[in-house]
Amino acid sequence: MKKILFFFAILSFLTIGCSQKKGNNYVRPSYKTDIHIVSANDMHGAIENMPMLAAAVDSLRAIDKSLLVLSAGDNRTGNPLNDLYTIPAFPMVALMNYIGFDASTFGNHEFDSDQPLLEKLINLSNFPYICANTFADTELGIQNIPYKFFDVKGVKVCVLGVVQLGIQGTPDSNPDHLKGIRFESVEETINKYLYLRDQCDVFILLSHIGYEDDCAMAEKFPQFDLIVGGHTHTQIEGGELHNGVLITQNVNKLQRVTHTILTVENGKVTGKRAENIEIATSKNKNPFVAQIVEKFSDNPELQRVLAVATAPFSTYEELGLLMCDALKEMTHSEIGFTNMGGVRYDTHPKGDFTVDDVLRLDPFGNGVVIMELTPKEIEDMLIACFYADRNRFPYTSGIKCDIEYTANKNNEPEKVVKLTLTTDDGQPLDPNKKYKVAGNAYAVTVSDSPREDEGREFGSISSDLLIKFLTEKKQINYSGRRCLTEHIVK
Amino acid sequence: MIVKVNNQEVRIFKGASVKHALLRYILRVKADVSNIEKLQVKDRKGHQLDQDAPLKEGDSITVNL
Repeated sequence: MKKILFFFAILSFLTIGCSQKKGNNYVRPSYKTDIHIVSANDMHGAIENMPMLAAAVDSLRAIDKSLLVLSAGDNRTGNPLNDLYTIPAFPMVALMNYIGFDASTFGNHEFDSDQPLLEKLINLSNFPYICANTFADTELGIQNIPYKFFDVKGVKVCVLGVVQLGIQGTPDSNPDHLKGIRFESVEETINKYLYLRDQCDVFILLSHIGYEDDCAMAEKFPQFDLIVGGHTHTQIEGGELHNGVLITQNVNKLQRVTHTILTVENGKVTGKRAENIEIATSKNKNPFVAQIVEKFSDNPELQRVLAVATAPFSTYEELGLLMCDALKEMTHSEIGFTNMGGVRYDTHPKGDFTVDDVLRLDPFGNGVVIMELTPKEIEDMLIACFYADRNRFPYTSGIKCDIEYTANKNNEPEKVVKLTLTTDDGQPLDPNKKYKVAGNAYAVTVSDSPREDEGREFGSISSDLLIKFLTEKKQINYSGRRCLTEHIVK
Repeated sequence: MIVKVNNQEVRIFKGASVKHALLRYILRVKADVSNIEKLQVKDRKGHQLDQDAPLKEGDSITVNL
């Protein structure tokens, strides 16, 4: 009997070689090896750091040519050189292609690209977008996949991807860009794909759901070996073990990436360790990638003419009004406002208004906030903005402001004693109505006044709205336009 | 939404980032805003956060002014 068992043992060893059979029909390898993974998250268009990332990846590939390179999403948004390229966000895609990323999940900011652009960017990517809880209508052509198997030195690695959903049940982005795309809850999605655990040796969640939710998923799903996280820009030192699951994440813009080493033995992960690699401060650059970045930095798109000014701008107020009109119209609001300090130059000649002109006028990358406010709340907010912005009254569109100040010893405005708001045609505001107000996120934040509605992010930055506004208008003339009437009273 | 900065409640718009909560907090406690970009911010478990990090209802951050 013993001889027979020995014979079958030898036979099975010869049949499956150095493998073990487990779950479904998947045959697991029985040798020991290390899987190396480099993971980035929330790169946010930091093309300037891609030469250093490329050098780090080159070094690790010299140690292990099977290195997996993963992105946990938010590859774009945060750098006009990337986001306003001829094909917006293409520089990051091109650089990720060259570096040899194996996969990215969607971050909420991937949806800052509208549907046709997202489709185009995916088609231009040499790597898949792995995201199991995102379902785009077929006609949109957005091709993401729920998971992917990678053969790494004979070890079967499965990567499942998920993206963050806000309280509306969609990623935090421009809602117009989410039309035709359906999202499912992260937890239900993971449950649906847990069967993959039995079909691989290493099970990775490529997650753009944030650190706390990564921890929650690790507690619920110890089936994962590793969660490569993103979204909350949380600096984890190396990796953290939660319920046996290793979690990694870094702060944004490629300040650091994580190098994770998983030891796989007999088809099972027996060792996990991770270290951070400094990228932004590294002196090692891949020279070819540095050349590509230089090329992308010389962006012809910045010289694109958006509109023609048929008269020159000659005051901060005229340019501030232009910015407020863009905020109001492009968000379908009734009132737009911006702090005076947010208007960065006071003259612009008659003629072309280019992308570069917009970025010099509004260089901060501020988000846009929409609020529903009563006239009293609007008054209080504008006055709070005045005090927070070194006693300079904010500019408005959709309403006109008549302000009486007391003056300091230099005869500069010191204290608002009376503010009268009227509509553009001189009518008082309706005290029983709530007005839809759009402001840049900085102005809204510093205007700390009592209001029921603190507002919500619109999902675009203010300079993008101005670019769209000018593109639609084609011709502009703000000469002599005013929104403020200011008086110093004794 | 309401988040906490140094254990003090801050009401802020939905979709705000760390920098927005920090700015409102600093203005409220009348601290110096000129070096705001250099301030080190941590989450409730002590992890470093950058100032573009998104916040959600109930988040809590700390900063040494």
